[in-house]
Amino acid sequence: MNPDPVLETLNLTKVFPGVIALDDVSLSLRPGEVLGLVGENGAGKSTLMKLIGGVYPPTRGSIRYRGEAVQFRSPKDALDAGISIVYQELNLISHLSVAENIFINRLPRRRGFVDWARLYREAERILAESGMAGIDPRAIVAELPIGVKQSVEIAKALSYDAQVLLFDEPTSSLTGPEIENLFAVIRRLQERGMGIIYVSHHLDEIFEITDRVHILRDGRTVVEMPTAEASEELVVSRMVGRDIQDIYYKGAHEPGEVVLTTRGLSDSVLQNVDFSVRSAEVVGIYGLLGSGRTELLKAIVGARRLRSGEVLLRGRSVRFQHPQDAARAGVIYSSEDRKGENLFFGQPIWKNETYIALQIGRFATLGFTRVAEERRAAAEYSEKLGVKAPSLDTDVDHLSGGNQQKVCLAKALINDPDVILLDEPTRGIDVGAKLEIYKLIAQLADQGKAVVFVSSELPEVIGCADRVYTMAGGRITAELTGDAINEENVLKYCLQTTPSGGTAT
Amino acid sequence: MKLNRSLFSSSEFIVFLALLAVGAFFAFTSPVFLTKFNLLNILLQSSIQGIIAIGMTFVILTAGIDLSVGSVVALASVLMALMLHAGVPVWAVILINLVFGVAVGVFHGFSITKIGMAPFIVTLATMAMARGLTMVFSDGKTIFDFPPAFEFFGAGQVGPISVAVIIFLLYALVAEVVLRSTVLGRNIYAVGSNLKAAALSGIRTHWVLYFVYVVSGISCAIAALVLTGRLGAAMPTAAMGYELDAIAAVIIGGASLMGGKGTIIGTIIGVLLIGVINNGMNLLNVPPFWQSFLKGAVIFLAVMIDSLKNRPNEA
Ligand SMILES: Nc1ncnc2c1ncn2[C@@H]1O[C@H](COP(=O)(O)OP(=O)(O)OP(=O)(O)O)[C@@H](O)[C@H]1O
Ligand SMILES: [Mg+2]
Repeated sequence: MNPDPVLETLNLTKVFPGVIALDDVSLSLRPGEVLGLVGENGAGKSTLMKLIGGVYPPTRGSIRYRGEAVQFRSPKDALDAGISIVYQELNLISHLSVAENIFINRLPRRRGFVDWARLYREAERILAESGMAGIDPRAIVAELPIGVKQSVEIAKALSYDAQVLLFDEPTSSLTGPEIENLFAVIRRLQERGMGIIYVSHHLDEIFEITDRVHILRDGRTVVEMPTAEASEELVVSRMVGRDIQDIYYKGAHEPGEVVLTTRGLSDSVLQNVDFSVRSAEVVGIYGLLGSGRTELLKAIVGARRLRSGEVLLRGRSVRFQHPQDAARAGVIYSSEDRKGENLFFGQPIWKNETYIALQIGRFATLGFTRVAEERRAAAEYSEKLGVKAPSLDTDVDHLSGGNQQKVCLAKALINDPDVILLDEPTRGIDVGAKLEIYKLIAQLADQGKAVVFVSSELPEVIGCADRVYTMAGGRITAELTGDAINEENVLKYCLQTTPSGGTAT
Repeated sequence: MKLNRSLFSSSEFIVFLALLAVGAFFAFTSPVFLTKFNLLNILLQSSIQGIIAIGMTFVILTAGIDLSVGSVVALASVLMALMLHAGVPVWAVILINLVFGVAVGVFHGFSITKIGMAPFIVTLATMAMARGLTMVFSDGKTIFDFPPAFEFFGAGQVGPISVAVIIFLLYALVAEVVLRSTVLGRNIYAVGSNLKAAALSGIRTHWVLYFVYVVSGISCAIAALVLTGRLGAAMPTAAMGYELDAIAAVIIGGASLMGGKGTIIGTIIGVLLIGVINNGMNLLNVPPFWQSFLKGAVIFLAVMIDSLKNRPNEA
């Protein structure tokens, strides 16, 4: 009845200096099947993807593909054999166009020269087939927001004529419509007999799209079962090794006076944005890709050139010219794009965490760094955020995606800011660690801080925010408080492109 | 134990081994190589290259490049010579020379940050312009005859050690401290590692870029001072091709042209390696054309070993 597996791993093990990333993992994937792979941050999911994809060789164990033992020596080998992968971190070449990225290494040629007309035509076709007709194949990747980059990465993986597709957290920067779209494509490919492995921390996605779910913990297989027989509680408890209830958390704060306000903020994306946050308040911003949510946070700290409008901090006009001005005034922004805009790869955890602090005169005397103090603070915040790593000196490159995200948060929080602007703070973070971060956000507000967070996850916005702004087309479309913060309202307003001036309570 | 692992697997250590290996080879093949006189001579020869390469290290750490260094050294040298002949006092000549170095750096910094030009192009243009001006000002002729107080910086001795070597080592020490122990040093690595993240982390990236090109300009000015003093002459064709030796030394020392990676120690070892090779080949009477080829081959090997080691597949 069951067809032969297209891909199998047998006792796969990977040891990095100081860590056993993957320990004796065996799994099999049949054609036409979607296998979900879940586990905490650092459980070994990405390592498994990279071993299959030929990024590095396994320490022990083997891989069988279409019935034969294979040893891919490079990602290209795996790709040539028909295994296409969307990696967790983006790998696009930023100064090239979308089309060039999709067809990198196999640009269509005519008489030895690149056939540009055909390149763009083909790229357009692939984007359309992937349900991304809105993306311009001529756009330069560097200028695209991270969510669109992630879509391009997916389109690129789909463009190969593959037998097996591996997705490592493909939706971490996507919003509702793109996710729906991706699922439609996956279902189509599934019908065509493609085998798919799907890694995600969003369990709702796992339950929607997968047939079986394979759970990893500390590099080992805990259990594998048909998705239909699993429940969310069960998966979480097996993943984390304990029960977790009630993961959203609002804390006990009462919002105080207004701390930060924007008036009529406009730039190339934003249109007349009026926004405010109070002390001891958690404000959520929800919007789809291109809604201007990231741009708003960046504009506040002076990382974008404003056309008009002003920013007021405790009633005084500030109009920061540079993120350093904002940081000095106690306003810190943390970017959603950890590899592109937040972390310094090739540098250890502790240096990454103190970069902003050094700019505002902390941990330094007359321009000389006070390393011992820096390390102490970095150790404290790494611990607070639960960064799992062999040591503070580990390069951030060697951390799992979720742990990199925690380093980003530590880097912002170490400054003890009064106003903290977090862009997708839980991106790539596992269910258990999310709870800790929600608690932390609530605690910050309890201490009187003004917290603003942008999120693509509806439940998180609804569960954690005291007040919610919805954005669309560079405008704020609604401000919701109290019982008005519900799924129906948020979704309604984030699709609205004309301002309703809607405030609901 | 941890320290040892990182020490022995570092790029610097591998280049250091290469330096020892090449040194051992010349020690066996030439009786003169290991004499105190010759070793001091290598150090002296390397000091001018070293000063320039230190400036280049700062620039390359930010993922930039400065192709103008050789020409700027020559121009500075000729300008100083003309000023001395015009009767400007030595202290003023040295001061104006340093200001000139700063000015070159500011020009580069401005073109790169404010106009948005690529470092490669800007400094390539300066390379041609500076060499051209050198020829114009000197009329293509070598200029001799300077006051002894001026030549002290290139030809003077303090005990057995040349003043040039002392200047080089002090300069290296300052550079090392700046890169290792200051916020500015940390910011230089950050700018090279991830420009966008640097700006969002509150680093004034433009200032950092100005700074590194000014350091490179000052390095050229100092190198010109030492070179002119040592030769006792300002030659319009001086320091030809120094940019390539400087870049090679920095890369051999473990820096990456992509930025964010490299150290002063590494650069110094790189400079010494090139210096030892030049010196040894002279001792062995290798014909000049072959010298050029062999030097290129060694540079290739050194960088190749490092690249192979850093390939992600070997992780
Ligand atoms: N190149 C590397 N060098 C050293 N250690 C590594 C390397 N890559 C991963 N690790 C370690 O291996 C472990 C597994 O990491 P992996 O990236 O597979 O986790 P993950 O399950 O994908 O986590 P996440 O959900 O956070 O993405 C982690 O402890 C990580 O620190
Ligand atoms: Mg991962």
